[in-house]
Amino acid sequence: MSIDLHTLSGAYAVDALSPEEADEFDRHLEQCPACRDEVRELRAAAAEMGASEATPAPRALRARVLAAADQTPQLPPKVTPLEAARSRRWLTRVVGAAAAVVLLAAVAFGVHQARSPEENTASPKVAQVFHAGDAKTATLRTPRGTLLVATSQHLDRMAVDTHRLEALPGSKVYQLWTWTARSGKPASAGIVARGVHGRVMTLPRSGTTVAITVEPAGGSKAPTTKPIVRLDPDKV
Amino acid sequence: MSEPGLRLVSAQDPPDIDRLVGQVALGDAEAFARLYDELSSSVFGLARRVVRDPARAEDVAQEVFLEVWRKAARFDRTLGKAKTWVLTIAHRRAVDAVRRSESQRRQDNHVTPEEVSHDEPADSVIKLEEHVAVRTCLETLTDLQLESVRLAYFNGYTYNEVAVLLDKPLPTIKTRMRDGLIRLRDCLEGNR
Repeated sequence: MSIDLHTLSGAYAVDALSPEEADEFDRHLEQCPACRDEVRELRAAAAEMGASEATPAPRALRARVLAAADQTPQLPPKVTPLEAARSRRWLTRVVGAAAAVVLLAAVAFGVHQARSPEENTASPKVAQVFHAGDAKTATLRTPRGTLLVATSQHLDRMAVDTHRLEALPGSKVYQLWTWTARSGKPASAGIVARGVHGRVMTLPRSGTTVAITVEPAGGSKAPTTKPIVRLDPDKV
Repeated sequence: MSEPGLRLVSAQDPPDIDRLVGQVALGDAEAFARLYDELSSSVFGLARRVVRDPARAEDVAQEVFLEVWRKAARFDRTLGKAKTWVLTIAHRRAVDAVRRSESQRRQDNHVTPEEVSHDEPADSVIKLEEHVAVRTCLETLTDLQLESVRLAYFNGYTYNEVAVLLDKPLPTIKTRMRDGLIRLRDCLEGNR
């Protein structure tokens, strides 16, 4: 690397480059692992300097920040810029779709009703699906709270994270359903077991609708209540 | 268990910032509230130091935490500590805010090198040991290193502007800024 460029690491670490110079240095960093290490260390030192200015924030800020976050969708984990851009578009469409939702899919579901969490250990955990390199995620509003959904083609799984949905009384459970336009008949895709805040299922095939209802404990053979959320690939 | 919501953090242990960010990445609002409690003083204090105006500093701090919320899943812990990540976002946003109103800032707050070399906000309360360590380590920098680093980091000047303010050649400022940060890094590491 040029010596000249390398000495910019300090200015870069404290955001003291012009946007053009910062772009140039960014490109340089992609090819210079040693420079990345140095920038990382200098930033850590600068951050400690910044943290040494700590001042208690005004009390009202906390509630404002938490309320704003509640209204703000999160970005999925991403690796390449291309995938990120594609995923953001997807997320925008999903979140924009009115009452609730829209999902994509593949493959017949193979989830058995009321399978215990222990039996799930062979399949990826909820968090693994959310953290998969190719994960697409959506944050969905439902009448019962917020539902987080992630799909990974690579893992061939879809996961729902229900910990931001209302807790249900012991006599009720959240149950997942899938159906295709052809069959039109919801089949159970499993219940969210008590004490577990999510569920992983095989990625449903394209054209499959996924829905969640509140059912009596143990689950139902067919939905007995109106879905709190429906995920419809055809509306993507 | 790796399901969100099931990981318990002992009330006795200080919360692990990295782990909190991992939980925030899964949409865990409680973890986000704890993260706010852990870092709001640092974020707000830095923002206020850079943008000066407390009301604008609040706006910056809010932007910072929302960015953290949105991008938590993209935080890569192999690239450093979560606290550094959050403060790096805080610094960039604070500097952006300052640069957006640069001409106004210069009118309100004309800075000369003489003023800056003793720049220390009287109302900044530094209690924690780690903050003392930073102060002590900053004292090991040469005057020019310290001024260069501070003008850039706390006043949001580019290194070009710092060179003009301090009336020094550009390459000198560039290297002093880097050398100063390296010295700070080495001193902080030596204190651990």
